[in-house]
Amino acid sequence: MTGGVDLVVIGGGVHGAAIALFAARGGMRVTLVERDALARGASGTNAGTLTMQMTRAALIPYALRAHDMWVRAPEWLGHDVGVVSCEGLSLAFTEAEEALLSERADARRAAGAPIRLVTPQQARQIEPGVSPAIRMASHCTIDGFANAYLTGLAFRRALVAEGVELREYTTVQTVDPSAGGYSVHLANETLRARQVVFAGGVWLEPMLGWLGVNLPIKTLINQLAVTERMPPVMRTVVGIASGLLSLKQYPHGTVVIGGGWQGIGNRTSNTHSVRHSSLIGNVRLAMHAIPGLGSTRIVRSWTGFEAETADALPAVGPVPGFDGAWVCGSVHSGYTSAPYMARCITQAILGQEPEMPLFPIDRLLAQPGTDTKTQGHRRE
Amino acid sequence: MSAAPFHDLIIIGAGPAGANAALSAAGAGLDVVLVDEAAHPGGQVWRAPAAGTHPPPDPDLTRGNHLRAQVAQAGVALRAQTVVWSVAATQDGFEVAIASPQGPELIGTRRLLVATGAQERVVPFAGWTLPGVFGLAAATVLLKSENFLPGRRILVAGQGPLLVAVAAKALKLGKAPVAVVDFNGLGRWVQALRGFVGHLPSLRQGLTWQAKLALAGVPILRKHAISRAEANDAGALGAVHVTPVGGGTPRMFEVDTAFVGNSLVPGDEILRLLGARRRPDPLTGWRIEADDEGRCKIPGLYVAGDAGRIRGALPAAAQGTRTGLAIARDAGCALSAAPAKTPRRMDRFADASCSLMQVDDARIAGLADDVVLCRCEDVTVGAVRGAIADGAQDANQLKHFTRLGMGPCQGRMCGANAAALLRTSPGTKPGGDVLTPRSPLHPVAVAQLAGQFDYADIPVPKPAPL
Repeated sequence: MTGGVDLVVIGGGVHGAAIALFAARGGMRVTLVERDALARGASGTNAGTLTMQMTRAALIPYALRAHDMWVRAPEWLGHDVGVVSCEGLSLAFTEAEEALLSERADARRAAGAPIRLVTPQQARQIEPGVSPAIRMASHCTIDGFANAYLTGLAFRRALVAEGVELREYTTVQTVDPSAGGYSVHLANETLRARQVVFAGGVWLEPMLGWLGVNLPIKTLINQLAVTERMPPVMRTVVGIASGLLSLKQYPHGTVVIGGGWQGIGNRTSNTHSVRHSSLIGNVRLAMHAIPGLGSTRIVRSWTGFEAETADALPAVGPVPGFDGAWVCGSVHSGYTSAPYMARCITQAILGQEPEMPLFPIDRLLAQPGTDTKTQGHRRE
Repeated sequence: MSAAPFHDLIIIGAGPAGANAALSAAGAGLDVVLVDEAAHPGGQVWRAPAAGTHPPPDPDLTRGNHLRAQVAQAGVALRAQTVVWSVAATQDGFEVAIASPQGPELIGTRRLLVATGAQERVVPFAGWTLPGVFGLAAATVLLKSENFLPGRRILVAGQGPLLVAVAAKALKLGKAPVAVVDFNGLGRWVQALRGFVGHLPSLRQGLTWQAKLALAGVPILRKHAISRAEANDAGALGAVHVTPVGGGTPRMFEVDTAFVGNSLVPGDEILRLLGARRRPDPLTGWRIEADDEGRCKIPGLYVAGDAGRIRGALPAAAQGTRTGLAIARDAGCALSAAPAKTPRRMDRFADASCSLMQVDDARIAGLADDVVLCRCEDVTVGAVRGAIADGAQDANQLKHFTRLGMGPCQGRMCGANAAALLRTSPGTKPGGDVLTPRSPLHPVAVAQLAGQFDYADIPVPKPAPL
């Protein structure tokens, strides 16, 4: 094929941007197409939590390696994305939550996460801000958070420096196979590439539809809130057994409240908004966990999409039947694991053996015409 | 938090527009809830004095007292001292979220009228965030509510009708300004006179204020602006430097207080949160897309008064009445009276006022790098320029790159000025100059949002997969 690049990445979130970066460093000529600006969707609006305690057990080995990458971001990304590495606590307030916590701590520990159960007294030594009402906590020495809204700035600088051609505010109409590669059709132009990566988050389903591949993707609408700057009220990442709470205080003093309470929205219209009752519930949970939050104010809340496959495990691998077409997304706690997932799939794109196994999507493919729900239940 | 009660109409804002709309809609038979953060109706311009304060007679006070008496007699449910922190569209209307010391409350309504008035726009200068620098509109609030202005040596600067009003009222309080610094030249005022004759009582009052300032020997520096403010030893305002527009030798005034303001812009966050769109307006910068009777493109959503387009209190009152009747008609009420249109002369008066409050983008584009643009997060003009050079093409990206607009004011103070910087920078995204509004519309206390609750009653969703 002539006049094309080695790789077109469609979707400029943290997955697509990291793949573009690693592929360019691997010697490829890369174009990245994003219909908005880089990392303005889920990658820029998520809670930035880099935790093992909300990660599925099967993904712990990936998340641990990704955590290390985030901590070392200045070395490979050139920007720290505000990463704070700290300890984390997951709390149980009821007997049922104690059972849940023990079970989950065991499974994650077995997968390699340094998690142990601690008494309320021990938990309050680790995190003096935590409520005295807890019955048990699980403690992980590897936890932390990034400033997700800096993701786009960080990757943009790195990609520009690496010579990746950035096409922001550019919508892909469709993609089809062409001799020796793929044609990526824009409004007034067609890009040609030997390989193509679909990294479109919740829009992976319509994207793969361009190739006639039916990958059902549920759309979660995660809701977050942030307080005004306040004096130190906590020093760890705090969650609860069910995974429906995440709390951490940033160095500038704001506390981000999340956990995956659901807002209102729709991926087809690309609209999402805050559900009042979810915000109230989430804030109640936050105040119950860290009573010191009762003295501050909420200044902002927002929502963002999260993609989820039928088995809530990643869609990271080749597109079956289409040589040189790849998919990367729906990783579940995706922000945490993204740089490592991107590293592994980029190794495959470069023709190398990935360090860790990918998550091929063959298991998830529905027959053409199967109706899929686009709105699912929240997991964590 | 109980199940949401449901109403025919909720009106947010009990100023001239909202309260008059409430009167006409309730008069036509609708079940109306009128919500306002203040203790009494009147909004900013027709504000009620605080208890125990007795400001001098004033036409706005008279109008406000009349309005308050009307609302008290009408069948309008007034929710005073109530802050709306969010609104959302529902299947059959809207959900209005309020918070109070009693906890959160969600109220449902078939129709929603947003009458949230105007916000002040200040053209920043070096030092504008020093203690001792106040907004002009903020000064009018203090005057109407408390009959008080802070400061001993004061200076009034900026542009528009509020400049003279605040200076004259300061004089009356025995605090003659050391100077009035007007961005506009006399020529602009003379041009505006042709519109000001549209409301003679206001014109007469404005001329009287000007005369009193002249008689008292208050210098009025026309075609001048504050170029920078300096701190005193205590870190508060100590002096301002005033420079002719277009350049020239600065003059320094030692002052402890400056009242500054350049324009008024629509307080349109609630409307935009619900999806209403801004449209450019050559005179006022922008307006909210709505028809002549206040219907937005979102079914059931209405706007009246300055929240939709800056017109001032009297046109807002007339528009409120009209929109209240339009809502009643849309709701199926049989109406006896046809709504009156705002007289053309009132429109000319509003145009004249707005013509004195225009802020060209070039003024913002000309600010020095060290001037603070976003005061909540201390983001300078230079930092914004750096972010644009780093690839930020729209306002929401500026927010991500710099934290601009992430503070408690949510970009109300800096949004219009950041937009001007974006519009005047090559390579930015056309139409991307507006920050997306977010709930809560005002910072809301966690304790009020949470209220009293039992842990067992929190509707925690089912656990995530392991």
